[in-house]
Amino acid sequence: MNVAEKTKTIQPDSLIGKRIPKMDAPEKASGKTRYIHDIDLPGQLHGKILRSARVHARIRSIDTSAARALPGVHVVITAADIPDQRPIGVAKDHLPLKRDRVRSQRDEIAAVAAESEEIALQALKLIKVEYEDLPIISDPTEAIKPGAPLIHPEPHGADGSHEHLKQGMPVAYAGKPDNIAMRFDYGHGDVAQGEAESDVVIEDTFKLHYVTHCCMGVSGIIAEFDASGNLLMYSNTQVPFLHKREFAEYLNMDPSRIRIIQPPIGGGFGSKLDIYPFEVICVFLARAAKRPVKMVFSREEEFLASPTRQPVLLTLRSGCRKDGTLTFRQVHTLHDNGAYTSWGATTPFVMMQTFSSLYRVPHCDYHTTAVYTNNPYAGSFRGYGNLQATFAIEAHMDKLAEAIGMDPLDFRLKNAQEKGEVTGQGMSFKSCGFKECLTTAASRSDFRRKHRENIRNRNTPDPVKRGIGIASMLHVGGGAKIYPSDGCGTILKLDDFAHVTLITGASEIGQGSETVLSQLVCEELGLPISAVTVVNNDTDITPWDVGVHASRTTFIAGNSAIGAAKKAKAKILAAAAKKFECPEADLDLRGGFIIKAASGEPLIDLARLMRNLHFTEKAELVMTTFYYEPPSKHQDKGFKGDVSAAYAWATQVVEVEVDTETGIVRMTRVTGAHDVGRVLNRLGIEGQIEGGVVMGQGYALTEDLTIENGVMRNPNFRDYKLVTAPEIPEMDISFIESMDGEGPQGAKGVGEAPAICIAAATANAIYNATGVRIYGLPFTPERVYRALHGKAEKPYWKPWKPE
Amino acid sequence: MSLKHDIEFTLNGVKRRATVGVGMTTLDMLRDVIGLSGTKYGCGEGECGACTIVVDGASLNSCLMFAVDCHGRNVTTIEGLASDAKADALRDAFVLHGAVQCGFCTPGMMMQASHLLACHPDADADTIKRGIEGNLCRCTGYKKIVDAIASVGETAK
Amino acid sequence: MTGIERYVVPASLEQAVECLQQLGEVTILAGGTDLMPQSQAGRLKIKRTLMNIRRIPELKGIALDGDVIRIGALTTISEIMRNDLVKKHLPVLAEACDHFASDQIRNAGTLGGNICNASPAGDTLVPLIVLDAEVELASKPDGKVYQRTMPLAEYFVGPGKTRRAPAELLTGVRIPLPPAGHVARFFKFGTRPALDISAISIGIAGILNQGVMTNVRVAFGAVAPTPVRALHTEEALEGKRLDAATIESVANVARDEVKPIDDIRATAWYRKEMIHNMTKRMLDHVAQA
Ligand SMILES: Cc1cc2nc3c(=O)[nH]c(=O)nc-3n(C[C@H](O)[C@H](O)[C@H](O)COP(=O)(O)OP(=O)(O)OC[C@H]3O[C@@H](n4cnc5c(N)ncnc54)[C@H](O)[C@@H]3O)c2cc1C
Ligand code: FES
Ligand code: FES
Repeated sequence: MNVAEKTKTIQPDSLIGKRIPKMDAPEKASGKTRYIHDIDLPGQLHGKILRSARVHARIRSIDTSAARALPGVHVVITAADIPDQRPIGVAKDHLPLKRDRVRSQRDEIAAVAAESEEIALQALKLIKVEYEDLPIISDPTEAIKPGAPLIHPEPHGADGSHEHLKQGMPVAYAGKPDNIAMRFDYGHGDVAQGEAESDVVIEDTFKLHYVTHCCMGVSGIIAEFDASGNLLMYSNTQVPFLHKREFAEYLNMDPSRIRIIQPPIGGGFGSKLDIYPFEVICVFLARAAKRPVKMVFSREEEFLASPTRQPVLLTLRSGCRKDGTLTFRQVHTLHDNGAYTSWGATTPFVMMQTFSSLYRVPHCDYHTTAVYTNNPYAGSFRGYGNLQATFAIEAHMDKLAEAIGMDPLDFRLKNAQEKGEVTGQGMSFKSCGFKECLTTAASRSDFRRKHRENIRNRNTPDPVKRGIGIASMLHVGGGAKIYPSDGCGTILKLDDFAHVTLITGASEIGQGSETVLSQLVCEELGLPISAVTVVNNDTDITPWDVGVHASRTTFIAGNSAIGAAKKAKAKILAAAAKKFECPEADLDLRGGFIIKAASGEPLIDLARLMRNLHFTEKAELVMTTFYYEPPSKHQDKGFKGDVSAAYAWATQVVEVEVDTETGIVRMTRVTGAHDVGRVLNRLGIEGQIEGGVVMGQGYALTEDLTIENGVMRNPNFRDYKLVTAPEIPEMDISFIESMDGEGPQGAKGVGEAPAICIAAATANAIYNATGVRIYGLPFTPERVYRALHGKAEKPYWKPWKPE
Repeated sequence: MSLKHDIEFTLNGVKRRATVGVGMTTLDMLRDVIGLSGTKYGCGEGECGACTIVVDGASLNSCLMFAVDCHGRNVTTIEGLASDAKADALRDAFVLHGAVQCGFCTPGMMMQASHLLACHPDADADTIKRGIEGNLCRCTGYKKIVDAIASVGETAK
Repeated sequence: MTGIERYVVPASLEQAVECLQQLGEVTILAGGTDLMPQSQAGRLKIKRTLMNIRRIPELKGIALDGDVIRIGALTTISEIMRNDLVKKHLPVLAEACDHFASDQIRNAGTLGGNICNASPAGDTLVPLIVLDAEVELASKPDGKVYQRTMPLAEYFVGPGKTRRAPAELLTGVRIPLPPAGHVARFFKFGTRPALDISAISIGIAGILNQGVMTNVRVAFGAVAPTPVRALHTEEALEGKRLDAATIESVANVARDEVKPIDDIRATAWYRKEMIHNMTKRMLDHVAQA
């Protein structure tokens, strides 16, 4: 016990709240991390996809003979070669290889696997496709009109080949009688009554635009079958276990024969939540070629074929009383679903929460129609509909406050939710730092004073006007029970050097979950962070998890890891108690030792105890498992229920300078206050928030995926503008620690929160600076300039829902 | 097939030869011909900086540089920087300041930062922001990257 | 991408112009920052011979030659930006270089490449035009090396098209030393300091004497198929006192003079508005200085 003797007592110490560098950072900063693009398997072929040259057309014929004849080409496939293809996606409306019809610019028609990428690309050029153009619908308001051409027509009449397929089949076979992809209708209270009780009622339409993830690492996959027909995929999916099952279905395989390995990922942000055609096609190629096939996108392809944050037309009607009490909200939205249905269609789950529950609204009525068009299709993207919803709500919060002559901060404070409340939608706020977020962000930014002064300065001769705007958000922070399970498993083992291997179902997508989970485990076991190795990327090894989404990993995987660590601790202490013949309760773990809990005096170092267990007593392995399922509920048919175990809150104050002679808006400062439950890793959480703020800045000011008649005009970083370093605002971020009772060490999820209110707060800031409200995004110089000169068209969409 | 050409140059301090297509980018040469995968492809058009390398003391986008033009020149990639003890401070700063998230932009950022510090050892935040304006990062919001680079500049003082 | 049959790396100017003369179909490679992305995307096909001019010493460097500053075609944008002669005598050119792309591209991209790429949005072109720059072109038609010069303002024919003959090499740019009282301003429209293709750019130069501008030069970028001199605007400004009324009327002339198009970066209407507003702002600054 040499070491222990030297250190008389070990002081309590905690890793929680510290600035812990990411465990994988040194490798990444040395260029040693191997992303999917960097992995090459022996004998590997390169896959490429031929995409549609038309936006909406019937495919008359495909001739691949010349491509097949090209030396170096191993296989060429079209839908005709894969008769057992099954539709993929959330609504099963999407065949990976298109059969008789293309519905959007990116549609997959054929694919090639060849010796090199160059040969594969050459082969694509040799494939001849004859098209017969169909009318293009790229405007969702046109798509819902009766008699509009259908994107997924029912296969009857002349095209009788599918007639034997009954209704109830997937959309890909049975078609749809209209262009409506999905509907969401929610309500609580009685909006008519709410309106009658209102002193002020306003209605506006907001027009939100297309943006896309732009992960710096483009999409890719490698698929390989072994000699017995087992499939191994290197994939960047965020949801490996769900995808294993889905792939099995699409490939008509036994799921247990599919293994997914997830190499480190070059950014996710929600984009890897669905299975996309290229992944299935790559597996088809590997199956046909009997060789590993790697498929990696070009940046242009990444733009064309990745999912988007969808455009939304949103008409909001809201009211309040003179005393500042909100009375009702009525929302109709029209979502451009694109040609196929992915997770984007389901964002109303989140949007309606914001409408029903961010502020206290006694009466709420919400309707969404997601409509098929020939545009790019809508996926899930950090914030999941919440950016769009918050944009509309916070504009109305300002407008209502102004209409009744109330300070915008007071108006919000009056209607803000508090701890203990259960909302009309059934969300129950067990911890809630919303009001503190509001007051903190406002006082740290000197909001009230600046807001008043800016209004006074609107008419000064200086062409550059200053503005300040506030907006807040509510988002799930304790998982989201969108599947019957929202659980996560952990396996934890200690070796005889007291090194921990934490095997978790939760994938790392760059957000730093590995580090946080290690911290939580070390906190229980009294070990330094270097004592942990995390294994999280192989479905043959890791236990079940629903996947990385809904800001759930810290909360769910964190609780799971703590559960496993607690069990390990109990085992260790039991063994130590036996050894030292004392009650377990007298002992604790600290600094790598078993200590006397009362004095901190070290008794034996943990590694030595572990060796005792293994070599001398041959008693037991310290290897534990834990499965955590949060206490949240699946929503009922009316979308009511406490869907998350905890909710995260934030307020952001944005300051801008508007050059009225150019329309250029500079974001100068963002003051954020985030209720994160508790800060686990300060370095990590600051990074998440700063990154999210700047992503929100891009959504507000610069990013605009331009689609004209179904054609993407700017599939490159030259004209799709991400924020660059010199443009970032000063950032002042505070954390409100509401200590969630269910959260791991009190923490809640925050992954999505920071991007959500920036655009909303910016709109309010521009109004504060100029007196002009802009209802459409993004605030590019020309849009702002037009608005300032009365040349902007105010969007209007008459509330609509199908009978 | 396209015309090939033999070149000789210094890569990360070591003289070497390579046979490359005349139209090939230096990025493709590094990754596919030579097999160094630390230099990343993010756009292939000079817009993202993920492919940044240093040639004869100046940082360049390797996706814009003809591989044949490497002939006779001194090329440093992230692999070379990572094995240079002088660059340890920069790597440690990136790690400690939380400048790395998904890490995909990081090799290019590190290369650009090393060049920036070579030109402006005492760069302030604004100079650093301008210095990395050609490097996109989707994860971090840049602030921690700027902090990391600034901290190295300060300790060098 | 393919189709290149020959790769040559001349070591002198003479060798280079000889190659151009002999080999006929030649694509010239300088920094490659335009050539590479254009050829990779298939927007430009590299001809039978690719000629790398980066090893030609005569094309490098910035020097004072009597009352002219000569900048070699191979000088990179970074070199121009940091050069003391340029900073002292041609600060407007250094400023334009500071708004050019990114550090990496400034380190690779050359002045010759920027000029020969002949983009209407090329950022060195507008300031060089208002500085009365001339281009030097070399050729070797009959065994002897010839040099000719031409005002830069006349060099451009259309996007990517210039008056350079296929057998000519652009060797450098000659800029007269500005006289006393010379003022020059450059404006590039963008939301970022640099990495941004100009939606419009404006150059204004002249001699300011007691509030009156003479020898006026005005040029605009990205409002026509080439960078253009704005003769009407120059005329409206020439010899006038820079008061509020003159400035407003000059800005109006400028707006009427340009004929931009709508594209993904901006509409024609907005470009005209910006020409007006920024011409005005620049002249206000000149007047106040
Ligand atoms: C991401 C990105 C951003 C950019 N941003 C800007 C910007 O902000 N502003 C701007 O102005 N430009 C910008 N550019 C364009 C480009 O960087 C510049 O035009 C650069 O100056 C070109 O120089 P180069 O040496 O790289 O030319 P190269 O690509 O080598 O050549 C360009 C063209 O000129 C010809 N050429 C080159 N030198 C000669 C010569 N001496 N004689 C005859 N012909 C010759 C070549 O054959 C080729 O056609 C950008 C480019 C990229 C990729
Ligand atoms: S890959 Fe070279 S700049 Fe993006
Ligand atoms: S860390 Fe992911 S792009 Fe920079």
